[in-house]
Amino acid sequence: MYPVFCSKKLKAPEHQVAGHSAKEGRLGPLVDGEGRFFKPFQHDFRGENEARFYKFFSSNKKAPDHIHGYFPAYHDIQVVEASNGSGKLPHVVLEDVVSDYLRPTIMDTKIGSRTWYPDVSERYFNKCMRKDRRTTSVPLGFRISGFKIFDHQESSYWMPDKKVVHGYNVDEARLAFRKFVSSNSLADSIPDCAFASDVYGGSNGILAQLLELKAWFETQTLYHLNSSSVLMFYENDESVLMKGGDDAVRAQVKLIDFAHFVDGNGVIDHNFLGGLCSFIKLIQDILESSDKSDETGTYRFGNGH
Amino acid sequence: MHLKAPEHQVAGHIAKDGKPGPLVDDKGRFFKPLQGDSRGEIEVKFYESFSSNTEVPDHIRRYFPVYHGTQAVEGSDGATMIVLENLLSKYSKPSVMDVKMGSRTWYPEASEEYIQKCLRKDARSTTVSSGFRISGFEVFDHRELSFWKPDRKLLNGIKVDGVRVALRKFVSSNTLSDTSSKPDSAFASSVYGGSNGILTQLLELKTWFENQTFYHFNSCSILIIYENEAINDNGARAQVKLVDFAHVHDGNGVIDHNFLGGLCSFINFVRDILQSVDESTEN
Repeated sequence: MYPVFCSKKLKAPEHQVAGHSAKEGRLGPLVDGEGRFFKPFQHDFRGENEARFYKFFSSNKKAPDHIHGYFPAYHDIQVVEASNGSGKLPHVVLEDVVSDYLRPTIMDTKIGSRTWYPDVSERYFNKCMRKDRRTTSVPLGFRISGFKIFDHQESSYWMPDKKVVHGYNVDEARLAFRKFVSSNSLADSIPDCAFASDVYGGSNGILAQLLELKAWFETQTLYHLNSSSVLMFYENDESVLMKGGDDAVRAQVKLIDFAHFVDGNGVIDHNFLGGLCSFIKLIQDILESSDKSDETGTYRFGNGH
Repeated sequence: MHLKAPEHQVAGHIAKDGKPGPLVDDKGRFFKPLQGDSRGEIEVKFYESFSSNTEVPDHIRRYFPVYHGTQAVEGSDGATMIVLENLLSKYSKPSVMDVKMGSRTWYPEASEEYIQKCLRKDARSTTVSSGFRISGFEVFDHRELSFWKPDRKLLNGIKVDGVRVALRKFVSSNTLSDTSSKPDSAFASSVYGGSNGILTQLLELKTWFENQTFYHFNSCSILIIYENEAINDNGARAQVKLVDFAHVHDGNGVIDHNFLGGLCSFINFVRDILQSVDESTEN
């Protein structure tokens, strides 16, 4: 049996951008405000499967330390009161990766040109195929599940409706990646990509981290991470940014959502890797075009978009 | 012009039922009949675009057959044929393998019927699981002194382990038709390894695919060729070539992540064989 945990007050996370929400009395994840994230066991096998992944991965010595850093720390399973009032349920307890960010700007991107995988039910296969073909998953190799941007001009968060985000075509997805690093996201004008080099670029930026992950995916045959996401986030609170030094932005990549992982069986996760490479290319393009605009002083579209 | 059927076709269309098949001449040229529907046109469009695309670096161009335009050929009812470099003309005893790249062979622009047909084939083969499938291969058997080809039906049904065996057999010198003996992978280092070997060439292609957004090479194959004649004295002259561009579409600013994922997976299989061969020679 799992340990029962009662004392602290758990509430819905402030900064969730995708997945089931605990708000409005539904079943969703909770946080304790002290750095832990409680994810309820989803129906069927999925909760157990995700717990299995975290358990195996956290003790896996074959994956190097710097790769472990890209996954939320695992703190076992605990039984707590579910967010929808249905009583006590087992929850996977993870590191709350945004807990020490004041106003994080966050994006959740589901990686892979297909979210289905061999041996799933026909029903699930059809559901996945429909979504993959309707969204940017098939053409781009990934799709944005959700994002929220803290806008400095308005001093508030902008979080587009999930349905709108799921309906993005390739150009709209590219635009979202530009808005993600812009100071004028809410305005209708062309995104200024003012934070592109701080967030995406640099030796500790998003791109550098994604390239480390890519190198691991080129050879690791342990896991196939079907339907998993890259969560990317950075500190966007003005007072923190003004106080801090070079790395006040603390741009971070984390891999999340392992309910559909399967054993690699000696084959690399080519589905995830292909999508990851496409994601990397998109970010590189934004960095390059924002570099060019710095040089000329005018904003220019690079690579025809 | 003296034309005849090519000797070492391992996959794709052959001449049958009155429909024209590919032909070769004695000047190093390969004549490919234009396929029906729009596929022939798409392939020509690709070759025209590619051959005049100044942004493709020379070291990548070598992985593609040289294009010599189209020609109406006598004896095939005046049918238009694509004229290409005969990739095997400089080999006297070539072993050839055709590997279809990508974890899906369908693409969004295709018809629903075609997509369903591809999905079935992809699921039944190693395409979905491994990101590529072996369409066919022919190996020179150094014991029997003749060419050996695996049974087509058997090949279509192989799983991941079967792929590993096939990739080893492809570079082995022992009798290939003998299923009881383990493939010796005698030529693995000469063919797959070395500074000019298959692995090095695949890694060059991989770098290009990480950046090029010109073309999506749906359903394309990688052909692996090497020379068996005097392989121990002259080396294998192993070569990678991309072929079959009937389903190529514009990249539209996006990389060919489908091909790239499959290519990375294939690279890993080849690397594994090289590593295990190195380890066994050390022991």
